[in-house]
Amino acid sequence: MVMTIDWTIIPEFLPIFMKGLQMTLLISVISIVLGFIGGILIGMCRISRNRLVYGASTVYVEAFRGTPLLIQIFLIYLGLPQLGIYVDSPLVAGLIALSLNSAAYQSEIFRGGVQSISVGQIEAARSLGMTYNQALFNVVISQALRNALPPYTNEFITMIKDSSLVMTIGVLELTLRGKLISATTGQSIPVLLFVALLYFVMTFSTSRILRYVERRFAIPGMMGSESK
Amino acid sequence: MTEPILEVIDLKKSFGDNHVLKGINMRVMPQEVVTIIGASGSGKSTLLRCLNHLNIPDSGKIIFQGHDINDEDIDINAVRTQMNMVFQSFNLFMHLTAKRNIALSLMKVKRMSKAEAEEKAIKALEKVGLGEKADAYPGELSGGQQQRVAIARAMAMEPKVILFDEPTSALDPELIGEVLDVMKKLAMSGMTMVVVTHEMGFAREMADKVIFMDQGVIAEQGTPEEIFVNPQNPRTKVFLRRILKEMGAMDPGIPTDFLPNGNGLQDNP
Repeated sequence: MVMTIDWTIIPEFLPIFMKGLQMTLLISVISIVLGFIGGILIGMCRISRNRLVYGASTVYVEAFRGTPLLIQIFLIYLGLPQLGIYVDSPLVAGLIALSLNSAAYQSEIFRGGVQSISVGQIEAARSLGMTYNQALFNVVISQALRNALPPYTNEFITMIKDSSLVMTIGVLELTLRGKLISATTGQSIPVLLFVALLYFVMTFSTSRILRYVERRFAIPGMMGSESK
Repeated sequence: MTEPILEVIDLKKSFGDNHVLKGINMRVMPQEVVTIIGASGSGKSTLLRCLNHLNIPDSGKIIFQGHDINDEDIDINAVRTQMNMVFQSFNLFMHLTAKRNIALSLMKVKRMSKAEAEEKAIKALEKVGLGEKADAYPGELSGGQQQRVAIARAMAMEPKVILFDEPTSALDPELIGEVLDVMKKLAMSGMTMVVVTHEMGFAREMADKVIFMDQGVIAEQGTPEEIFVNPQNPRTKVFLRRILKEMGAMDPGIPTDFLPNGNGLQDNP
């Protein structure tokens, strides 16, 4: 059965779309932030000279990077109760899965950033009497984060889109809201296109904002800085 | 007689099967300028890096101000505040201005306030002729200027010894002079310096002692006159002849009396 496309559906359901948008933003921001912090911690483990710390963090990264995010979400929401651990709220379960997964990716981004800093700068810092940690925090990390901004931007955008996977455990975020509206009204095309547009607005703003941050914190005289 | 500020006793270092240092003995007296010359791979840089524990020696002693820094209970960070290193590739902190490059270690290691550290940093920059570049980033400076900032960074820590690891080797020829000038000023101010270099002019003019390293050992050491004018070891002669020939080829203006005139040093007569 052919159905005429009715765009009035969008303003009609706008409050519900906005509720979904809010939820998606909340999930994305929280899991990006937790993933960022976790990524730095795991990234530090990945450059550790302690074999156990290095080994454990490597297993973590490979496990979370190498298996589908959807399976990870199911394992936390459906699998953990079998072990007697109940994560009652699908939202919390989703946040845990997304954060753990993103931490694995972000740790590699962080590690790449750290390793882009020449050993010579660390040696110079040490040779002036700074401790390893002083050199790491004052010399390496602030440069590493700047150098890693483009891959971080990629990861943040991916997270915004992948947050839609938690709809499978019943979190009422943007995609699930859209799917429900489209099912009730039958107006799949306008609803899904509008949902896609909302995702695009989020990801495009993210990339613009981070591009601005990149320029703002570019190191004068280095690649990527504005010429005078 | 005064005590040496730095004494190296039977220092050995290997990387796998590669025996880079095969038992080094040397002494550096306070206010002395010691230059270490020798071909690439002779172990000069490794020796210098061992003195700062950027490479950990396998055995031997490094007595600095009366204490063996190879002892486990020595705080190497405290040693390094007294014995800084200037690197071939400058190794400035690329995200900090010249001023803050110098101020950072003063704040973190010497616990100075920011204002105090930056004031000291500017003074150090003025000493190397870069007072007006205090707010420039390393990426905005020439190689020679970057190295002068690196020297100012070491000077500001007021160390007892500064180690120089081929400080001019990464520079374009026209930038070498400004760095050597700063080093000469520093030497004349009484700083104790150990300088690994290929700049034979500097070695000859400024050194109190010249050490020639070859294949992981000190093949010969002495005053600049002894080494450059009248070398005893055949390997020293071969090395000097080769390097001075290269220099002569680059700079025909080198005075002839600069060339060593020891036996067997002339080209086939």
